[in-house]
Amino acid sequence: MNDEQRLKLQAFLDGELPQREEREVLAWTQRDAEAAALLAELRNTRQALAKSEAHLSVPETREFYWSKIERELQKQEATLTREPRKSFIAGLRRFLLPASATATLVIAGLFAYSHMDTVTVAVVAANDSDETVVETAQAGSDATTYRDEADGTTLVWFSAADANPAGGKKPGATD
Amino acid sequence: MKLFLATRIVCAAIFFLLLAGAGTRTVAGDLKLEAQLIIGSNDSKPQVSGLKPVASDIEKKLKKLPLKWDHYYVVSEKKFSVGNGDTKKTSLSTQCQISVRNLGDQRVELTLASNGQNVGKITQSLHKGQTLVAGGDADNSIVVLRQGN
Repeated sequence: MNDEQRLKLQAFLDGELPQREEREVLAWTQRDAEAAALLAELRNTRQALAKSEAHLSVPETREFYWSKIERELQKQEATLTREPRKSFIAGLRRFLLPASATATLVIAGLFAYSHMDTVTVAVVAANDSDETVVETAQAGSDATTYRDEADGTTLVWFSAADANPAGGKKPGATD
Repeated sequence: MKLFLATRIVCAAIFFLLLAGAGTRTVAGDLKLEAQLIIGSNDSKPQVSGLKPVASDIEKKLKKLPLKWDHYYVVSEKKFSVGNGDTKKTSLSTQCQISVRNLGDQRVELTLASNGQNVGKITQSLHKGQTLVAGGDADNSIVVLRQGN
């Protein structure tokens, strides 16, 4: 006996079959012992359930009772669809990853900028005249400036005005 | 687990980059300077014993300058750091004092003093490799200022 035949027997017992099929099932149970046995078992089970099942009544009306069930179902569905709560570590990690990536980029940018700045300063300095400003502190004194651009050396020689080296005399000469 | 490891690696990278950044800022703001008091002489040996000849690179520079001496000896040497906008005063000998002000952008203001009397003030840029030499008629002493290594 297959499932369809078993279901047909159940439907027969529940009185859900049209008259023609009812007659066919009845004839089938009369000639088939297995079908008759199953029908008897189903009938017994039904009777047993009908006797033992307590009759429950609710104080509310049918509509109100079902509306309560509906609300409860909706509440449970909302709970199920709500995002599960994440742990603190997971949240921190979610924050740290993009934050650290951004910080790395910013620091790398600053690092590159500081080096670029040095290069820029060097270029500006190379283009600049690198003017040397000399002030003498004593009255009547003078200063001579000599620059060796190729060597990057500047010589400043302070001397009394009347002792300023002249005529090809080297600074530092006291003789 | 992999995610946690990645986070730790990124944090470590940030830590080291911050350290590097801090170091860069120090170098960018401060000037590490080296000042030497040097005497010029035409004697191949120093008149005062114990003086060492100047480093060959400085000697080469000095010999290109219109100075009358052929040999140069180091009397004293000071290495110091000057913060941006700060001034550092130091004595190179009992007679020679200098004051260096960091004007920023690798510009310095060097003030020379002899026996406590101001001789003069020099303002110029002092990039790496540049050398500032200052002296006076008073004696055969010269001051060499440059950026240290």
